[in-house]
Amino acid sequence: MTPDQLADLSRVLYSPTTLVLYLASAFVYLYALTTTVGRREEQERGRRAQKLGAALAVAGIGTHVAHEIVRGLAQSRFPLGNMFEVSSLMALVGVVVGFVYLTFIRKRAELNGFVLLGGALVLASALLMYSEPGPLMPILDTWWRHFHVSLLVGAMGIFAAGFVFNGLYLLRDTGERAVARRREQGMHGSTVGAAYVGDLEAADGEHATDGASAGLEGATPSGALADRTTDTLEDVGDDDRDHDAEYRAALRAGVSPWKLAIGTAIGTSSVAWVFVYAADSLGEGLGRLVIINLVMVAAASLARWFVPFLPSTATMDGLAHRTIAFGFLMWTVGTIAGAMWAEQSWGRFWGWDPKETGAFLTWIAYAGYLHARATSGMKGRRAAWIGVGAFIVLMATYLIANYVIVGLHSYAGL
Amino acid sequence: MGWRWLVRMKTALILLGILGVQTAIATAVPQEPNVPGTVEAWRSGEEGPGELVAAGLDAIGAFDVYGSAMFLALLLLLFLSLTACLIPRIRAWVRLVRRSRPPLTRSVGKQDLVSEFQTDRDPDDVHGEAARLLSDRHWRLRGHDGEDGPPAQVAAEKGLWSREGGSLLFHLSFYVLLAAIVFGQLLSFEGQVGVVEGDRGFTDTEVAYWNYHPGRWFGPEQHAGWQLRLQDFEVDWIRDPTAPGAGQPTTFRSDVTVTDADGEVIEATVEGNRPLNIEGTKIHQLDWGYAPRIVVEEGGEVVFDDFITTVALDRAGFRGAVKAPAATPDVGLDVFLYPFAPEGEPGDPPTLTGAPWDDDPVLIVSQYRGDLQLGLTQQTVVELDTDLLELEGGGFLRPGQQLTIEGVTISFPELRRWVGFQVSSRPQIPWLLLGSALLVAGLVPALYAYRRRLWVMATRTADGTRTLVRVSGRAFQRPDRFEQEHARIVAALAEATGELPEPTAPPPAASDPDDGTSEPATAGSHSEVIHR
Repeated sequence: MTPDQLADLSRVLYSPTTLVLYLASAFVYLYALTTTVGRREEQERGRRAQKLGAALAVAGIGTHVAHEIVRGLAQSRFPLGNMFEVSSLMALVGVVVGFVYLTFIRKRAELNGFVLLGGALVLASALLMYSEPGPLMPILDTWWRHFHVSLLVGAMGIFAAGFVFNGLYLLRDTGERAVARRREQGMHGSTVGAAYVGDLEAADGEHATDGASAGLEGATPSGALADRTTDTLEDVGDDDRDHDAEYRAALRAGVSPWKLAIGTAIGTSSVAWVFVYAADSLGEGLGRLVIINLVMVAAASLARWFVPFLPSTATMDGLAHRTIAFGFLMWTVGTIAGAMWAEQSWGRFWGWDPKETGAFLTWIAYAGYLHARATSGMKGRRAAWIGVGAFIVLMATYLIANYVIVGLHSYAGL
Repeated sequence: MGWRWLVRMKTALILLGILGVQTAIATAVPQEPNVPGTVEAWRSGEEGPGELVAAGLDAIGAFDVYGSAMFLALLLLLFLSLTACLIPRIRAWVRLVRRSRPPLTRSVGKQDLVSEFQTDRDPDDVHGEAARLLSDRHWRLRGHDGEDGPPAQVAAEKGLWSREGGSLLFHLSFYVLLAAIVFGQLLSFEGQVGVVEGDRGFTDTEVAYWNYHPGRWFGPEQHAGWQLRLQDFEVDWIRDPTAPGAGQPTTFRSDVTVTDADGEVIEATVEGNRPLNIEGTKIHQLDWGYAPRIVVEEGGEVVFDDFITTVALDRAGFRGAVKAPAATPDVGLDVFLYPFAPEGEPGDPPTLTGAPWDDDPVLIVSQYRGDLQLGLTQQTVVELDTDLLELEGGGFLRPGQQLTIEGVTISFPELRRWVGFQVSSRPQIPWLLLGSALLVAGLVPALYAYRRRLWVMATRTADGTRTLVRVSGRAFQRPDRFEQEHARIVAALAEATGELPEPTAPPPAASDPDDGTSEPATAGSHSEVIHR
């Protein structure tokens, strides 16, 4: 095949093939997550769904790897030379590490849906930076680059997975806290709380049970229920199931959809403004900004719907911590490797180039997360928020140092 | 405030946060040591947010964050805070390593993880077996015969010092890095110089460099005095405008000979990622440009004859200048070089392409006369200060041609290239590598090692016929991982005592413990561990 044909093939493998497979796998896994609380036959269906999800995920990883290989062949080089290729590999590493870690190490395959959804989002965002395959500047043509860039891009993917876990932890924790608060109100016989519960009972639909578990089932320990939602495989009685359904709805209602949407939009915009800056026209840039925001808000709202099916906050927090710890180690080694390469290539090991400064800032932010998590009074929500902020710093410096500020690393851009 | 304030983790986090803010400023605002031109443009209001904001930024040192007093103060505070944190931690850690013994327990059944099985072996036998098995797995052991106090048991602990030790090593490596950076500032040397192909070359002495940045403790006598000549410089690009990556360079290589002080000649190639190393001094190829030789004659007398170095403009040719103070009054030439400028239609000027390859070079020369103000005003090698100069005329010049303007004859006999080399000596590099290695070596156990305790207690069953073996444990970090390890140890012990373990109840759900970070002191308080 000619390089042009290879380039076309690599593009098709990327989008739609890989993108669709990731999304399909994500939705199958998310469906499977909802069955973990159901009856025996539902759980059986969920297990089959998980198998299908795993098959789709593996197929998606396969076509993604094939895309990287074909693109590498099309341009006769390792495909890590520009923003598109970096973002693509970031998605691949995030999906592979997240999938393997959840499936085989933590045995929490039911959470794979979020990892694949995150991977699909990064994959789609890379299309905003798509560039045709091309050769590389001679100065980049060295094994140092493979080492330094692969480590950092790998760490970016892992940080992305860590961000997903931190986000889910915060959602779940917010839900649990809201339920606990309302239960307290109910137990103290607050008239306000009672009226609220009554209102909700009168309403119809899923959210009707909101607050009911808080007001009427105050005696049920939330911890036991929380664990039952995911960890118990035995069939539970009808009564218990009703209580569970009430508790789940209350958890979901505990996360305000408006606050979530606005918060997600603010967080997204603090990174995505770069696309406005870098776009050819203001209209095009604003269009991109709106689309990215809508997608992120949609993803966050989707995640909110799944809050009741998540494992306990301790588990989510642990997943986030282990993932970020691994990413931090890779980031550290990758940055040191970068300094070594810079000494070799540019004749100085550190020069506060915008990208270097960005890497350092990201390192500090994640160091802040790890320290916060080890500090009493900071661990839990505050640490998780620092983790979320660190990911924003990572993405912002990644885009800014490529699109906004010209530095020595700028050939990594376009 | 004071020492107690410094010791707190929260303080360290706040200081880290401030460091983050400073770094964010350094990312967003151009930094003078990196891009002095951009900073100048910000100050004058040509670029950036305007003069007023720039003055404000200047006032807080935002144009040179890492050279500002605020950054130094922050660094000092960070290291003070780090020291204040580390001293008690190191003391505690040394005590731990030297004195600590695994604690005994009174109630083996009340730990996070408990497994039990029965065997026909004698309790003492089981304890011996457990001790052997655990010491094979590098656990710290403490046996107890149960004469008084807690019942007979084997208590074991692992990961006691590696996690905290790793964390200490990680933080101590910052002192190595800091010392290396400080001494590097004092002892290192860096200089830049441009060398024209085949020309007389360059000798490593203080005066020969274009830019010269010695550390405070670097003396001129430390120059080895070798001589470098650029034999050949090769550069090429993707010339096909339709090819992917069109215009990108593909080759960038200097063939040099170096004659050292003893007269020994070394032939070497310097490439992008391959600097030349001469006795600890590194020579990097950083920059290049065309070097047209220009001869200026006035009244039959040569007033200038040399290669001038031109620097690349952004996709629009190269720029250089001739400064000939030997003429009276001074002659200055503003020179633009277009390496690929094919002839246009007859009567039209050449077509100036932005292409950098020298297939059809042309010079555009503007001649000035007056006072060059050499040494009086700040001016670069490639630009004239035209304040006291008067434009007399200009024209195009191909290689081998000459041009006469107002009695001054300018000729362009040949075109070569020059390469900008950086010469640097950095004795701190090995120390920085050591610091980095310590940092990573500490980080791995700090993130991955986990402290855990295990108790094996074998007692006679109530009817006295068999032995009940209970294995309990708890992890201070990474409970999920410990759960698997615990199960493996129980299985191994059961096998060693000739039994299969009974399936045990899962750990109580409420104790899905915090993963990762609970400190021993606080975590110990809600267990039934007896500290002795």
